[in-house]
Amino acid sequence: MQKYKNVAIIIPALNEVLTVAKIVKEARSYGCDVYVVDDNSEDETADEARSAGAEVLILPFRSGAWNAAQAGMLYAIKKGRYDFFITMDADGQHEPDHIPLLMDSCSSSNANVVIGSCVQRGSIARRITWSAFFFLTRLNIHDMTSGFKLYDKKAVEILLSKEAAMFDYQDLGPLLLLRRKRIKCIEVPISMCSRENGCSRIFNSWISVSIYLIKTCVWVFADWISKSGYSSGKWTDYDSI
Amino acid sequence: MTLFDLTAPAISFFSVLMILLLVRRQRLGIFHTVWWLFAVFSMLSIGFFPSLVDWIGQLLGIHYPPVLPIILALCFLFIKVLTMDIERTQQEIKIRILAQKMAAYEAELHKLKTESSTEQ
Repeated sequence: MQKYKNVAIIIPALNEVLTVAKIVKEARSYGCDVYVVDDNSEDETADEARSAGAEVLILPFRSGAWNAAQAGMLYAIKKGRYDFFITMDADGQHEPDHIPLLMDSCSSSNANVVIGSCVQRGSIARRITWSAFFFLTRLNIHDMTSGFKLYDKKAVEILLSKEAAMFDYQDLGPLLLLRRKRIKCIEVPISMCSRENGCSRIFNSWISVSIYLIKTCVWVFADWISKSGYSSGKWTDYDSI
Repeated sequence: MTLFDLTAPAISFFSVLMILLLVRRQRLGIFHTVWWLFAVFSMLSIGFFPSLVDWIGQLLGIHYPPVLPIILALCFLFIKVLTMDIERTQQEIKIRILAQKMAAYEAELHKLKTESSTEQ
């Protein structure tokens, strides 16, 4: 099995005590360092992850998967020893066995971001939403809500900017920002398991779906009129708050 | 002079008193103080000298001068709310980044503590 010493795995987790340890152990078997960012869980997620060998960051208040992912990226990039950063969900949907596939696709395509996508997992409503956003954004990505992504250092430096700090979800907002900054994103089809416990944080009720849709539409509109450019400042500026 | 003529000066007078009290108790930041002092002194001048509005209105060619203070007040309130929202967004960004940094420092502390306890 190939070992990836220069890869940091970032796992945002909220009340995922049942699955987090297994994912951490599997990811660590690839030689990667694993950072679990506990989004202020009410259960023992942090302890479980720690005992499985992950370094755990606990957010002082619940602030969403994207904020947790950013916290992990900031912590990992400060270590200075990683070239690649992979985000994964802690609910068991993403299999660490796909890490080599993401790495190989990244090196063979020279892309800055590789998205592990599984279009088949969506319900009809979700697919209609994806198609609508696909039409509105013209982003050449079919599974926009996948949390299984590989970023290189350049992409992470862009995602650690004040522009990105206001996103609430880790899907469309960051992808649009990356496109504005001329970052190359590609998609790799993978298989995803269904959730082993609980339900999606975004798609758990009509109210949260509506909030998600409204916020995403606003980001799409903001992207239309946003200034694009190559430079977003350095992550050290972000860290100097 | 009727009772109604005293309404506007009375309202403006009490507004001035309230703002000065808040400034005296240091409840407002320096730029907020400047903004509110300007607002209340404008209210005070219009409250005590309503003819000022007619004079400025005629000067600007406004057909119905009493509408001028209302339009100006709305404009100032619009600017105020907009700047408040911008400020709030900046503060929220800072709070989010601070939360991320705090989580990182706690993780670092935890690591140091475990390392020192295993060394002992």
